[in-house]
Amino acid sequence: MKRLSQAVFLSMTALVLNVQAAAPDNASAQAGERAREIWHQQIEGGYQTLSEKAGEFAEHSRHWCADPATGSRSDVEQAWQQAFMAWQAVRFVDFGPIETDNRAWQLQFWPDPKNLIARKARYLLSADQAPTTDTIAGAGVAVQGFPMAEYLLFDEPFNRGDQALPAERSCQMLTAVASHIAANSEQQLSDWRAFEKHYIASEQYQDASVRAGMNALEILEERRLAQPMGLRGTGKRSAYVADAWRSGKSLATVEATVRGLKTHYLPGLELLLENSGQPGLADRIRGQFNEVLENFPALDTPMAPLLADDREFSRLQGLWVDVSQLTTLVNDQAAVAVGVVRGFNSSDGD
Amino acid sequence: MTNPFRPAPLTLAITTATILAAGCAQSPSSAQNTQPATRANVVEHYAGLAHANYEDALITARALDEATDQLIANPTDANLQAAKEAWLAARVPYQQSEVFRFGNAIVDDWEGQLNAWPLDEGLIDYVKPDEYQHEMGNAGATANIIASNSVTVGGETLDVSTLSPQLLADLNEVGGSEANVATGYHAIEFLLWGQDLHGFDAGAGERPVTDYATGADCTNGNCERRGEYLDAVTDLLVTDLEWMVAQWAPGKDGNYRDQLTAADASQGIQKMLFGMGSLSLGELAGERMKVALEANSYEDEHDCFSDNTHNSHYYNGQGIQNVYTGTYRRVDGSLVTGPSLSDLVEQANPELDARLNSQLDASMAALQKMKARAESSQDPMAFDEMIGPGNAEGEQIITNSIMALVEQTGSIEQAAHELGIAALSPDDAGHAF
Repeated sequence: MKRLSQAVFLSMTALVLNVQAAAPDNASAQAGERAREIWHQQIEGGYQTLSEKAGEFAEHSRHWCADPATGSRSDVEQAWQQAFMAWQAVRFVDFGPIETDNRAWQLQFWPDPKNLIARKARYLLSADQAPTTDTIAGAGVAVQGFPMAEYLLFDEPFNRGDQALPAERSCQMLTAVASHIAANSEQQLSDWRAFEKHYIASEQYQDASVRAGMNALEILEERRLAQPMGLRGTGKRSAYVADAWRSGKSLATVEATVRGLKTHYLPGLELLLENSGQPGLADRIRGQFNEVLENFPALDTPMAPLLADDREFSRLQGLWVDVSQLTTLVNDQAAVAVGVVRGFNSSDGD
Repeated sequence: MTNPFRPAPLTLAITTATILAAGCAQSPSSAQNTQPATRANVVEHYAGLAHANYEDALITARALDEATDQLIANPTDANLQAAKEAWLAARVPYQQSEVFRFGNAIVDDWEGQLNAWPLDEGLIDYVKPDEYQHEMGNAGATANIIASNSVTVGGETLDVSTLSPQLLADLNEVGGSEANVATGYHAIEFLLWGQDLHGFDAGAGERPVTDYATGADCTNGNCERRGEYLDAVTDLLVTDLEWMVAQWAPGKDGNYRDQLTAADASQGIQKMLFGMGSLSLGELAGERMKVALEANSYEDEHDCFSDNTHNSHYYNGQGIQNVYTGTYRRVDGSLVTGPSLSDLVEQANPELDARLNSQLDASMAALQKMKARAESSQDPMAFDEMIGPGNAEGEQIITNSIMALVEQTGSIEQAAHELGIAALSPDDAGHAF
């Protein structure tokens, strides 16, 4: 029973009372509210980018598929990548409207050890009816997000076959998936805006917000790096366990997530740390974010060749060590400083 | 079923009629538990509960071993059916014992040989290729040990001409892939039922009993080897469980129970709560239900060959309740009771204890609905049908169970906080020994 857990979450934030028993004093309540204002604004910026980029991806897909001769496949691939990276930047937010209808899973079903994506694609592409947006809406999370679009655009065996894009049926599926992603991204932005008052007024979201970054770092270190690197479990290195292996963008997603945490998560955390008399720790965390990011753009490269060569592997180890140190600073030191206890999350179990 | 369904109480009274009648720790009239609960006696009783649970797993595994021996010696439909029933019965205690896994590293490190899942069954025996999706990059996924004298996985060639329990243990996770499950309940399940080729439709695996027939009656080839495999893998299950029973046996110097009960009792309490919460949320609600449901993925169904998934889930849930209430109904019908986590939480915060007890009852009620629907004599709906695209009723049944488990996990966290257990991090669990 060692299967990798879906790095997705079942949030309890809406159900759990804040167990940090003591009522915060006025100053820290104000700081908490201010931190939530910052988080709300920063995250809104992230969702705004996602919504724009997802819209562009849908538009490029439609354009290319309508007339492959004049459109450009590489424009579609670029647009996919930009939208997917915009998602990576806000992927850490695991509370609030993103929980509605499993929107996070819809956007990215991962990991997929049994290649459900390929199976679902084969099924939909061989069905009697061409896939429409309605088909996609009812077909489950493995069909509805960036990994399915990635499969259609980048999967090598698929793109060697006679259904390779821009084949008509495959194009219909691509545009339907892209428009599902765009609709979800737009809805998410609008829901997040509507969530503002409640979020800022509800103290319980302070813990939820801090924990969101903690969980994201834990998943990044353990599931997105250590697991494919063979540092966990059976010790086998496997690029298939990582995100976005089909497009060779596994490590680019790591960069995008870390950059997203630095932009959309860190400022609120810094304010809380300063309010808890820990400005030094805030500085160290910011410094460690920069350490991690110094691995890029050099490491913006497919993961598989790095796993296959021990000398190259050491570059990956360097990144992993930097991420681990960041995780320790945030999940152990900062969490204690701001009084957040790690709870159960979806990565418990195996 | 030995555990009658108990409805969720609507009042703050935390004991149900069932438990009261049996005499549980909260009952003032109870004669057998007059001692007030302490951390030490709660951990001691937890170890006793684990021991009873693993003993039952062993008893039912021995019955399974005997039933499969019968099947191999005399492959009739009746003997195949008896072996399947023995397998189903063996799952009842084992699934309850999974709550001991998380937090107790000795169990977690051991259980991969017993309950690993999902598996690439093409490692073991024939499969229908177009209905078989194995783990990506798994070189052993189509090795077919039963049809081979040697298998080559990841550049390594292994002699498999003689199928012994030890060989199968060595083959488990061969080539470094966790999907290469050569041993345990699910390997046995596959050998009894075969691949479920029905997808989201009604029906489980339909392996013909002639897969074990001798001479010209043998179907799908290698029947004798298949019998040898089944013999070895059931023998291994028994010896593995014997080892775990010994680890939890009382009065044995240096075994796991000895270490657990000698350590600071708060560590034991932490393991209990961590085991409950991890199974409840990440594993059962998340991995085993939500992933299968939201992705409409029968590859993620737990007991996918036998369609016994509803019972695996139900008895997982029962295990969580067992640990909290300090109660375990043994396979012989007798009841094990004693000082419980519930007693400790009640001392600290009676309202929280009442809430958690009623949430545990509610999650068992939700899982009972899943079980009843799957076992309905009129119109059964198995778990792999419930997760089918567009099955609104099935989705509701599963979602209700997930939500109940999520809610109780919130209270488990609060109980940990109430008892002063700050860190529920898995990194702290298991390192003490």
